[in-house]
Amino acid sequence: MAIPFDVAARRARACKTFLEQVHSTTAAEGINPSTLHAIKLKLVAFAKRADLFPLADFAMPVAQGRNHPLLVEDNDGHGLYLTIGLPGKEAAPHDHGIWCANAAISGRERHVFYRRTDDGRESRRATVVKVGEVVVEPGTGIVMADHDIHSTEVVGDQPAVGLSLYGYALTRFPSVTWFHPEFRSVRATPSRRHAA
Amino acid sequence: MARAPKTFQVTIRNSGQTIAGAADRTILQAAIAAGIDYPYACATGNCATCISKLEDGKVSLLPHADAALGKVQLKSGLTLACRARPRSDVTINWLARTSS
Repeated sequence: MAIPFDVAARRARACKTFLEQVHSTTAAEGINPSTLHAIKLKLVAFAKRADLFPLADFAMPVAQGRNHPLLVEDNDGHGLYLTIGLPGKEAAPHDHGIWCANAAISGRERHVFYRRTDDGRESRRATVVKVGEVVVEPGTGIVMADHDIHSTEVVGDQPAVGLSLYGYALTRFPSVTWFHPEFRSVRATPSRRHAA
Repeated sequence: MARAPKTFQVTIRNSGQTIAGAADRTILQAAIAAGIDYPYACATGNCATCISKLEDGKVSLLPHADAALGKVQLKSGLTLACRARPRSDVTINWLARTSS
């Protein structure tokens, strides 16, 4: 009788292979618009492998949003996560300070992109304007450079499940800058770069 | 004609001020509109900078991340000012040491 192939083990191997491919791309060419685009395409292809990401393996959020680490590299390595957002879950316009890519497994998430328009001279004040919008759904994804600004919102009545790859693990994130058009304000969360 | 949302008294312990809080606005929005330097960063329930002790009253919470406010914190009377809309008169106390 065949031994059932363990999904978790297959997933772990696939995540390792995926990150090896990412490193192979960036080692040769660095991080630039072209390699970021290539990373997005790889992530979108990876997210299509639904057999590796059965929802039963990932607890749903207690509140509305949760990140499940899939493979978090040591030191200044990348962080690959399976993210779940319930309908209505949102994030104000923000700049991660590090590149990231997202690809949908199921559900839909709206990403709105912004450009900062003030000169940054006034402390804690900022203005942004919308420059684009995309709904990430299965078969699609987005990629953002270090200081690109986006907001997110889970749309529809299904959870948005996807893969997120960040240049640094979430536990070692730089300061994230949050923009609030309603208040014309900007605030930052502390950097975690000092974290072990 | 649309009915105006119900308004409650929101007392912010740290600043010693009591302001009006509409039922369709978050406590953070009401505080900023009133000129109070309430600590916040994401304002969308992701970072917990505005985590606060709800000392009295009731709120309803908009969607937020598990990492920002967990079940245990919720049970112990903590809330996120950026996600909490008043459902009665409330008294709240932010936990951050200083505003961001």
